Amino acid sequence: MPTQTRRAGGFLLWFAVLGGALAWTVHLFVAWGVDELTCRAGNTSVGGVPVRGIVGAGVAVPALVTIAALLLAWRGWRRATAAKRDDDSPRMERTGMLLLIGLCADVLFLAIILAGGAAVLVLSPCQ
Amino acid sequence: MSVDTEEQSRSTSRDEALAELERDWGERPSLRGWFSTVDHKRIGRRYMVTAGIFFILAGTDAMILRTQLARPNATLLSPEMYDQLFTMHGTAMIFLFSTPMFFGFGNFLVPLLIGARDMAFPRLNAFGYWVFVCAGTVMFTSQLVGRAPDGGWFGYVPLTDTPYSTGVNLDVYSLGLLFLGVSTTAGAINFIVTVVKMRAPGMSLNRMPLFVWAIVGTSFMVIFALPALNLANAMLFLDRRFGAHFFDPGHGGSTLLWQHLFWIFGHPDVYIIVMPALGIVSAVLPAFCRRGVVAYPLMVLAIVTISIISFGVWVHHMFATGLPQLSYSFFSAASTLITIPSGIQIFAWLFTMLRGRIVVRTPFLFVVGFIVTFVLGGFTGVMFAITAFDQQVTDSYFVVAHFHYVLFGGAVFPMLAGIYFWLPKFTGRMYAERLSRWAFWLVFLGFNTTFMPMHVSGLLGMPRRIYTYPGGLGWDIWNLISTVGAYILAVGLLLVLIGVVHAVRRGAPAPDDPWQGDTLEWGTTSPPRPYNFAPVPQVHSLHPMWDERTTGALAIDEPLPDHRAMTTSELDGREEGVIEMPEASLLPLAVAAGILVVVLGLLWAWYWTGWYWFAGAGALLIFGAVARWLWPPERTPEEAGVAS
Ligand code: HEM
Ligand SMILES: [Cu+2]
Repeated sequence: MPTQTRRAGGFLLWFAVLGGALAWTVHLFVAWGVDELTCRAGNTSVGGVPVRGIVGAGVAVPALVTIAALLLAWRGWRRATAAKRDDDSPRMERTGMLLLIGLCADVLFLAIILAGGAAVLVLSPCQ
Repeated sequence: MSVDTEEQSRSTSRDEALAELERDWGERPSLRGWFSTVDHKRIGRRYMVTAGIFFILAGTDAMILRTQLARPNATLLSPEMYDQLFTMHGTAMIFLFSTPMFFGFGNFLVPLLIGARDMAFPRLNAFGYWVFVCAGTVMFTSQLVGRAPDGGWFGYVPLTDTPYSTGVNLDVYSLGLLFLGVSTTAGAINFIVTVVKMRAPGMSLNRMPLFVWAIVGTSFMVIFALPALNLANAMLFLDRRFGAHFFDPGHGGSTLLWQHLFWIFGHPDVYIIVMPALGIVSAVLPAFCRRGVVAYPLMVLAIVTISIISFGVWVHHMFATGLPQLSYSFFSAASTLITIPSGIQIFAWLFTMLRGRIVVRTPFLFVVGFIVTFVLGGFTGVMFAITAFDQQVTDSYFVVAHFHYVLFGGAVFPMLAGIYFWLPKFTGRMYAERLSRWAFWLVFLGFNTTFMPMHVSGLLGMPRRIYTYPGGLGWDIWNLISTVGAYILAVGLLLVLIGVVHAVRRGAPAPDDPWQGDTLEWGTTSPPRPYNFAPVPQVHSLHPMWDERTTGALAIDEPLPDHRAMTTSELDGREEGVIEMPEASLLPLAVAAGILVVVLGLLWAWYWTGWYWFAGAGALLIFGAVARWLWPPERTPEEAGVAS
């Protein structure tokens, strides 16, 4: 049981809670930065890879990371609510709340990444 | 018989302990004591009073603007004067009023709400206040001598850079805001450490009041946003005074750089202003709905996600600068979806009201006024997202109407709610209900009469920042109504002021808990003693004052005398240790004075080139005072307690 609680407060917990936010930040700066800088320089590819490909990856990879965080948060939250039933320590309550927040946040950030990324399919990068 | 004596000895030992606490935490009632205090409640009140004075000054500027605009072809103001007035009005409202006012609320309330004895760094706190007063005074003095900033509150280059802006005006802007940034940063760090390390035992993250969450979210935003503004202002100053070319395209600089830096700060700043206000609303509602705000985790989610997303949308202020369409899409998505957490909060409050038993008192009225105006402001904000519409109304009075609905509605209404709500705690006195209702209705009506017509004049094509206009364009009547509304609003705000003064002078003494509130500040006296709580409260739930276990313990436990405070763990609020708190000191004032001398020296050097030495003298003063501040105390480890 102690290992269980320790893990609940560790790296995975924080990844589940903040992973979506982090992934979106990386996505924003990579996708925007690459698009902006290469277009400004008058190029359409970086090191032989077309801009659209790189920007696409800048959407897809963070989206996948967010999905991973989302699944973790979901699993952890279910466990925390189950555990709360037989152990109502403040720590379990707190873990449960954080994971619920993480769950919703990850959904929101996934939505932002996908909504912004949808334009990659429609627009050409330097238009 | 024996029970009786036991009871008696217990109460005498309690009285002795209380007297000792009073001695440890109380202040000398001397002039020196006044200048050297580090008590968070005093500093909080001073922040509020000072920010209130700056509000009156910036409001007076606004009244002069409105008077000038009442009729076409007015000659009350010259174009130059008009520029200075609207720039000082906007800059002061944003930097010298909203944020410091909320810092005042936070300083007074956060330690009380989390059951602590003071802020984590009381001297840093005093320092932040003195810096704020000095910076604000410098900026408003520049207006008295006709040298106030005149480039608009967002100071776009190249207009504000040499050679287009001669004179010291924009140096007042860049140095003044840099100066102020010191204060805001210090305050934000202090809030974060206080909330993370000094919560009462048992106050785990999920039992932290929403107002405290809001202050922490705001502080994180300040810490990440302000460096961009400071950097921009430092660069502007170097450009203007020392021939740098950061913003000069002629020498390889970039004007867009200013916009990026400014809005990386500027968009989060909107939330830096509005977030604590939302926190106040979440604190006021439970007392008047007799139930906690519904969906606590979702409210926290909203605070946390807004704090993060607000950093990823600054480019929406730059949609006209010619970036690739694809880059815009990343920012539009975030800008659109940030409405979700804002909406969550509005709906949570509405549900709280629906499911609660409402008691209508003045603070509650201001909350309702807030919801109405803020939603209207949000509504016109969504209209801007339609690009075609945005192109039509950009830089018109429609925008002025919109952002006053958001800023006045989103900051001032909640502030007024908070002032009436916590006045008993701030002053130990109750306000007069009838007078305050008059104030509410005048403010509400006056506000809408002022700013609603601006939507119309904006749609009719009236641009913002014009010092006058010709008659017969259809704008006359709407401007006249606006100005009449502004006077009604001013009367309403005057009634608020009169109400507060009246309460302080002859208000009825306030009970400890006039509203049956749910959070810890209501568990101590009104106004609180210098040590806040005699026994450090033990928290068992999200609503400690509605929880028998807490209120019971507050009444009987033995106080813990000493000039020390308890530290607890970050996440769960478990007891960890005890730290010695610093004594009152004049050093914070001395360091602030040193910075003031530096700023004045740099400003005066514009007239008398040799005066950079004066700034150097200020730097020496800062160095000396900081060295003294950091000098290790000459105390034995036993005296110093665990802290050493
Ligand atoms: C007391 C009632 C107020 C009145 C009557 C008022 C009036 C005005 C007017 C007439 C302008 C437009 C100047 C122009 O474009 O020609 C203006 C601008 C502005 N106001 Fe207010 N205002 C009030 C309160 C506030 C508050 C509470 C805030 C913020 C918390 C605020 C923030 C601003 C800002 C940022 C600007 C833009 C300045 C610029 O263009 O650089 N105002 N106000
Ligand atoms: Cu914005």
